[in-house]
Amino acid sequence: MISVREVHKSFGRVRAVRGVSFDLEPGRVAGLLGPNGAGKSTTIRMITGFLPPDRGGIEVCGHDTISGSIEARRQIGYLPESAPLYTEMSVQGYLDHRACLWRMARADRRRAIDRCIDRCELRTVRRRRVGHLSKGFRQRVGLAAAMLHDPKVLILDEPSNGLDPTQIVHTRRLVRDLAEGRTVLVSSHILAEVERTCDRVIVIAGGEVRADGPPGDLSRGRVKPACVVEFKAASPAWLERVVPEATVTLSSLPDAWTRARVEGAGDIREPVAAAAVGAGVALRELHLETTSLERLFIDLIEDTGGKP
Amino acid sequence: MPLPLTIAAREYAALFRLPVGWIVIALYLFLSGVVFLVGSLAPGSAATLRTFFGVSTFLLLPVCPAITMRLLADELRSGTMESLMTAPVPDLAIVLGKYVAAVAFLGTMLVPTLAFPAILFYASDPAPDVGPIAAGYLSLILTGCLYLALGTLASALTSSQTLAFLGTFMTILAILLVSSVAADQVPEPWGDALRSLSISARVTDFARGVIDSAHVVFFLSASAFVLMLTHVAVESRRWR
Repeated sequence: MISVREVHKSFGRVRAVRGVSFDLEPGRVAGLLGPNGAGKSTTIRMITGFLPPDRGGIEVCGHDTISGSIEARRQIGYLPESAPLYTEMSVQGYLDHRACLWRMARADRRRAIDRCIDRCELRTVRRRRVGHLSKGFRQRVGLAAAMLHDPKVLILDEPSNGLDPTQIVHTRRLVRDLAEGRTVLVSSHILAEVERTCDRVIVIAGGEVRADGPPGDLSRGRVKPACVVEFKAASPAWLERVVPEATVTLSSLPDAWTRARVEGAGDIREPVAAAAVGAGVALRELHLETTSLERLFIDLIEDTGGKP
Repeated sequence: MPLPLTIAAREYAALFRLPVGWIVIALYLFLSGVVFLVGSLAPGSAATLRTFFGVSTFLLLPVCPAITMRLLADELRSGTMESLMTAPVPDLAIVLGKYVAAVAFLGTMLVPTLAFPAILFYASDPAPDVGPIAAGYLSLILTGCLYLALGTLASALTSSQTLAFLGTFMTILAILLVSSVAADQVPEPWGDALRSLSISARVTDFARGVIDSAHVVFFLSASAFVLMLTHVAVESRRWR
């Protein structure tokens, strides 16, 4: 559905995207994850035909985004960042205008608008002016506009930006539903959103793809398991005796408690608990740190010198 | 509906949904009404609209930039340009749609001024000559078309409506001054060359009832040329 091949893009001296490549298949939700300024929006703008790549090529449903730009754009439903809309129009009027740009016949337009208004839960505001709507509703209007022509490819740039938690959950559910039969690409710098919404995560930092795969697979083998221990003792010597080879990072907590993060020793909860009992050390926390995408994300960004 | 007309219809409606459209119409009708009162209805004045048409060249000077300043600049500022340029719409359709909306708005704005010739026909005896009035309106529309094309270009070059307004205003003012005052100050053949750009001289001809095809071609070709530049300006945004 989408094929991005060795794409480069610079703005003056700034190399925003450097040799990005990936393929996206239908029926899946892919997440483009990276910190601000990583090159996510530039990559998306090149896929949507808004910007041409300096080098490399992009195909959307077999249409090159440069030589077959209009045909490629016809396949895409796009929600730009911050969902820019014509604020002086009504919701229904705006959606009708967008449908006209896709040259939909009057009857098809009416059906498509009703379908998208229902799906994005805009019934109560369909006659209101876009400028009078809350941020959440505007985002949904933008999403409805992107879905009107039933595109094969749906590209959403930061779809949860500025939404409240309830709206975020609704948007996530909607994005998952929309993936049926089409390719969905979601860009975000919010890890939890990508982790919960996407089947595949493409981590981008410094204009390069740093990791690519299902959220679970990405963290496997890359993140060292760490054990977190909070104890009250004069010295951490009892702990160091249990894990002499491991890296122990200590931090002081109020009331003489100490937090230790033990890396490189695997699951050491049982020996640590036994040692604490043996040494008469008080424990209040002992857990194996979850190997989250967040940890991986931070590691990847730090590798590139980027700032999450 | 063809794509340029789809874009034009939205833009035309937007001009009436926003205060700026009504302010522009009110301002223009007030000023042109004053000119009509002083130039055509004052006792002893000739039953023509020559003064109205002559002054309109300058009345359109603030009006046309006010119509065009938001056409593309506001799309760039608000980010809606990205939605528009990623829809399956050729860039030329965007430019033509915006321009057609501006011309249609100007035409709508001129409709109430048809009251001026109607009053003249009612109040004067003998009745005024129809030819110069028809030619005058043609000149007004042609001049407006050129000013609006320049405004559309300025609006494509910046995301600031203020800059688009000032850019258009100053460009039109420069053309008016260069083709009249400056043309007398420079040696020939430069003076003649500058005078050939004169908008006022052509409008004066029209107001006399002379419809010179060279004048019509001048306004239409100049407008088309400026629109072509606007198309290049919009298209170049994809290549930056």
